[in-house]
Amino acid sequence: MNGWATFHSDLLEQSPLILMGLTKTLQLTAIISLSGLLLGIVIFYASLSRNNTLRCFINAYISFFIGMPLIVLLFLIYFGLPQWGIKLSPFQVAVFGFSLNVAAYNAAYLTSAYNGLDHAQMEAARAQGFSPRQIFKLITLPQVMRLSVPALTNQVIGNLKDSSVAFLIQYTEFFARIQELAATNFQFFKAYLLAAIVYLALVSVIVIAARLIEKRLVIPGFTS
Amino acid sequence: MALIEVRDLVKKFGDQVILNGVNLDIYEGDLKVVMGSSGSGKSTLLRCLNRLEEPTGGKIVFRGENIMAADVDVRALRQSIGFVFQQFALYRHLSVLENVTLALRKLKKLPAAEAKDKALAELERLNMASHAGKYPSQLSGGQKQRVAIARALAMDPAVVFFDEPTSALDPLMTREVADMMNRLHDEGVTMLCVTHDLKLAGQISDKVVFLDKGVVRAEASIETLSQDHADERIRAFFGREADY
Repeated sequence: MNGWATFHSDLLEQSPLILMGLTKTLQLTAIISLSGLLLGIVIFYASLSRNNTLRCFINAYISFFIGMPLIVLLFLIYFGLPQWGIKLSPFQVAVFGFSLNVAAYNAAYLTSAYNGLDHAQMEAARAQGFSPRQIFKLITLPQVMRLSVPALTNQVIGNLKDSSVAFLIQYTEFFARIQELAATNFQFFKAYLLAAIVYLALVSVIVIAARLIEKRLVIPGFTS
Repeated sequence: MALIEVRDLVKKFGDQVILNGVNLDIYEGDLKVVMGSSGSGKSTLLRCLNRLEEPTGGKIVFRGENIMAADVDVRALRQSIGFVFQQFALYRHLSVLENVTLALRKLKKLPAAEAKDKALAELERLNMASHAGKYPSQLSGGQKQRVAIARALAMDPAVVFFDEPTSALDPLMTREVADMMNRLHDEGVTMLCVTHDLKLAGQISDKVVFLDKGVVRAEASIETLSQDHADERIRAFFGREADY
């Protein structure tokens, strides 16, 4: 049981670094969730274009980034791009790589919700004289966003968990600090259990927030 | 002068000819009914008249202006033509009131309070003001259709198009819609209705236009078309129900 005392003392000693790592994790999660959502909306909008070439490009984008393992994408940017003279910081690589990946997933969720809509509404809006951009902003987007809340929330949870991969490109987020703690005293089980509990607590906060959002957005009879 | 003049209107989808030289006049205050079997081109005709579909040939003159000209402001044209759809097509994420105010605020740029007053007045006109706070899913088919009509009327259109307005309604609700259209007609609203519902046609109009294979074959009263018309197919089409 001496392990607990050592672990506890090391944890206290390293807590400023761990808290800093936790802040970085939350920061990265928030940024990629927001940028991934905004880019996902842009990609979804482009996917509705009448331009066949653009639609093919968007489909290829979604397939490419959903099909490619995140770690491969991050390594490609972090280790591969410097060979072409492009050197980005670990934070920049994480934001860039995650955003591309998350946007592809979010665009796919929005497209799936869009396919379930009653498209006569868009036709009615056209007949009323709305422009395609107004139809997207006033009719399409509010509906697909509502229908996609569960999928988008799951994506935020996924972003939080996946952000731990960023330690492999030297981004010292929460999991990287937990690795350091474990390496200090070889109490791997305790360190990783602590990481699991912290992630679980954070995920619970996101789930509660998502339920509140869903409740706030609920419209009678509005389902796909 | 007619409000809408349609001359030799042609619409093709690839090799398929949907409208093959339609001629039609709609005057202010008309409640004109266009009938025809499925695939006769009725809905395509309506959609061409407000450029939801691009006509292939012919001429459409609306308020003296050729609306097939390249420089026509199509969005402005659509704002002056109300359109009521078969399946109501209400915006599902908006309340009844918001469904009616949306175009008033975003297209007519009315202040929120003015748009609300105007929308409530239109809903009142159609006995739907008490449902203003409800969402489309909380309404019956007939109520949805009335909201769709209020939404169209709120823009003060020169004419309102109805595309099969009763095909999703039961006979009682069909009667309600017919009564309402008659009331609007009495108030001077110009309407063009395409339908294959003989009962509705009989309830709202003395004369109907019969469209067949993309061409206007006849324009007369239902009684004349069902009994006295030379073409047996037309007599059969209009003679199928007598209890309208």
